[in-house]
Amino acid sequence: MLATANNSLIAGRTTIFSPEGRLYQIEYAMEAISHAGTVLGVLAKDGVVLAAEKKVTGKLLDLTGAKEGGYGGSGEKIFLLNSNVIGGVAGLTADANSLINHARTIAQRHLLTYNEDIPVEILTERLCDMKQGYTQFGGLRPFGVSLLYAGYDPQYEFQLYHSDPSGNYSGWKATCIGANNGTAQSLLKQEYKDDIEVKDAIGLVLRVMSKTMDSTTLGSEKLEFAVLTLDPETKKPKAKIYRPSEIDALLQSEGLKKEDEEMKP
Amino acid sequence: MNTFASRFSSTSAGAELSKAKAIAMEDDDFSDASWGSEAGYGSLAKGVPTFSIPSVADPTAFLRLHTDDSSDPNCRIKIQHGTTTLAFRFKGGVIVAVDSRATAGSYVASGTVKKVIEINPYLLGTMAGGAADCQYWETYLGIHCRLHELRNRERISVSAASKYLSNLVYGYKGMGLSMGTMICGWDKTGPAIFYVDSDGTRLKGDLFSVGSGSTFAYGVLDQGYHWDLSDEEAQELGRRSIYAAGHRDAFSGNTCNLYHVKEDGWKFIGNYDVSKMHYEGPGDVPGSAGVAYGYDIRVEGRSSADS
Amino acid sequence: MSIMEYNGGSVIAMVGKECVAIASDLRLGNQALGISSNFQKIFPVTDRIYLGLPGLATDVTTLQELFRFRVNMYTIKEEREIQPETFAHLVSSTLYERRFGPYFIEPVIAGLSQTPSGGFKPFIAATDLIGCLNFAKDFVVAGTASSKLFGVAEGLWEPDLEPEDLFETISQTLMNAVDRDAYSGWGCVVHVITKDKIITRTLKGRMD
Repeated sequence: MLATANNSLIAGRTTIFSPEGRLYQIEYAMEAISHAGTVLGVLAKDGVVLAAEKKVTGKLLDLTGAKEGGYGGSGEKIFLLNSNVIGGVAGLTADANSLINHARTIAQRHLLTYNEDIPVEILTERLCDMKQGYTQFGGLRPFGVSLLYAGYDPQYEFQLYHSDPSGNYSGWKATCIGANNGTAQSLLKQEYKDDIEVKDAIGLVLRVMSKTMDSTTLGSEKLEFAVLTLDPETKKPKAKIYRPSEIDALLQSEGLKKEDEEMKP
Repeated sequence: MNTFASRFSSTSAGAELSKAKAIAMEDDDFSDASWGSEAGYGSLAKGVPTFSIPSVADPTAFLRLHTDDSSDPNCRIKIQHGTTTLAFRFKGGVIVAVDSRATAGSYVASGTVKKVIEINPYLLGTMAGGAADCQYWETYLGIHCRLHELRNRERISVSAASKYLSNLVYGYKGMGLSMGTMICGWDKTGPAIFYVDSDGTRLKGDLFSVGSGSTFAYGVLDQGYHWDLSDEEAQELGRRSIYAAGHRDAFSGNTCNLYHVKEDGWKFIGNYDVSKMHYEGPGDVPGSAGVAYGYDIRVEGRSSADS
Repeated sequence: MSIMEYNGGSVIAMVGKECVAIASDLRLGNQALGISSNFQKIFPVTDRIYLGLPGLATDVTTLQELFRFRVNMYTIKEEREIQPETFAHLVSSTLYERRFGPYFIEPVIAGLSQTPSGGFKPFIAATDLIGCLNFAKDFVVAGTASSKLFGVAEGLWEPDLEPEDLFETISQTLMNAVDRDAYSGWGCVVHVITKDKIITRTLKGRMD
């Protein structure tokens, strides 16, 4: 009876609880995300590292703009949200793009009001409040996106957060979203150390990625990579989203570059 | 006097005179000015110079409409205003210090205006408000001070001179004269300063500052003033006060002219550039500490913001 | 009392040979009372674009922050720096948004825009308070001393001045023009923008 009363006023079904007390739409959204490309994040004491597996690949993809790109994230997974926060997305790309836009606007609005870079948790919270709204009002479906937020603010220094379609978020030392996140999570649990440094974190991330990624090759066509550190002189956060050429160079130096066997002469 | 009262009266002395003239000369279409040469003594014999007034119903309102900045900043005729003048009495006489800027609206019309009018060798008048009004009437006052000397075989007192001026401008009250002046001199009673303005106020006092920058000058004057200042200290105080006003007030500045009135008459001390005083101080003058006056210059490198 | 004259201040920008210069006075007043001799009115938008904002002081701060917002969004989304011509149009549309309750500012823009061949072309522009753009080839002026700035600039400016000569010209123009305006002055700052660097100099002006 309660179900129909709600139904008659609002066309959608997200506001409906199941008899067991679950919100199915949210669970279905998470299901969608579990098929999406992996995004991995590791918090170090002097920075945060993000890596992601690209699913949209292919010879016919026009990536001419991407060669020089990576500035704001011309990729499909990792994006610059503000000068002090990088976001990694897993799930429905279109939903993700909309959320990224919102996040960027929220960050700028905070800057306009307070003349300071938005604190990472505040940004996470705002986006999550928005996502939660879509589970309770309006009869619209939830966003099918999970995000990782890698950021820095003077108050809490380096932080890593994960948010999901329900609008829930939590802070992590290392975490993974998307496909194979379970495997990656247990690998991280074994190898992560509390006082890890960025340079070691980079190595850890790449090793875990190479083990959990579906593909046999590990190169810039499949991998996106970003690091957030503090500039030693200006003491300001420096976000670096790696260009394809830089990713290949990095993999080379870590000894992880795996090329397609057939491509070898 | 060209007051409303005398203009429209039919029984006053002036009215009798014009009636007599009309009978005698039958020539009242042409004023004496049209025959030329009103510069001769003949013009004075008639009394206070008469001025043509616009033949409208309310000349006061008409004038205010066209010249009053405060009610309409876009008025067509911009009278030059904006100034800082000060004068104070102390044991060594009277110090008179003024700035030299004249502004018309926000335009700086001149930076070399003489705002101290030398009425005669022992009387000084300052200029604040409408430059033309001050200049004209204080020069006119000088004429009458001389006449007083000739008629009474003794110098006019500062009190009498200021009263003459004050009564004169009272006759034009409401017609738009703008004048705030200090008549300063040394007479039988000692050094004296009278403040006279175009509203008709006349006040005797020890220390005055007049003009848009007067508030800034008062700040410095009030903290440094006492009767027993030495000549050098008093001159320095006057200079420093004009600097303060010239710096902060947008309508005052350029240079400071400093005068000292003693028993035997006034003496011009010097002309000091306000901006130069900011960066270097007044230079090698008795009484000065030789330091720059500007706040930023004096505290450079010593603020907590500099660490 | 005019709102545009309430706080006072003036800005000028000039074109030189492969360089531009933008300069302003440093006064902030409350009508006749001078309050600050350190009030910044020119802000960097990118490495090669500078924006001067003379007029009501509260709007100077507000517009500077608003343009920072919009340029940040542009940079993050477009993944490249905004060009001066584009920024000028951004200024114009931002001001026109407030057509019936305007910001009391007359912005001046100076910068170097990138040509397709990779070189840099000098660019200056100014708008009125509701966004009408003026793309001048020689110089643009704004603020309480604008009429005096026009006069001196007309006399002193010539085309193709080298950066050092442009600095001298713009400095003399600004210093002498503000000395004739009661609401501008109290020090000046000059930025000369070339393709390699930007030189900023603070001038000692009349402090009255």
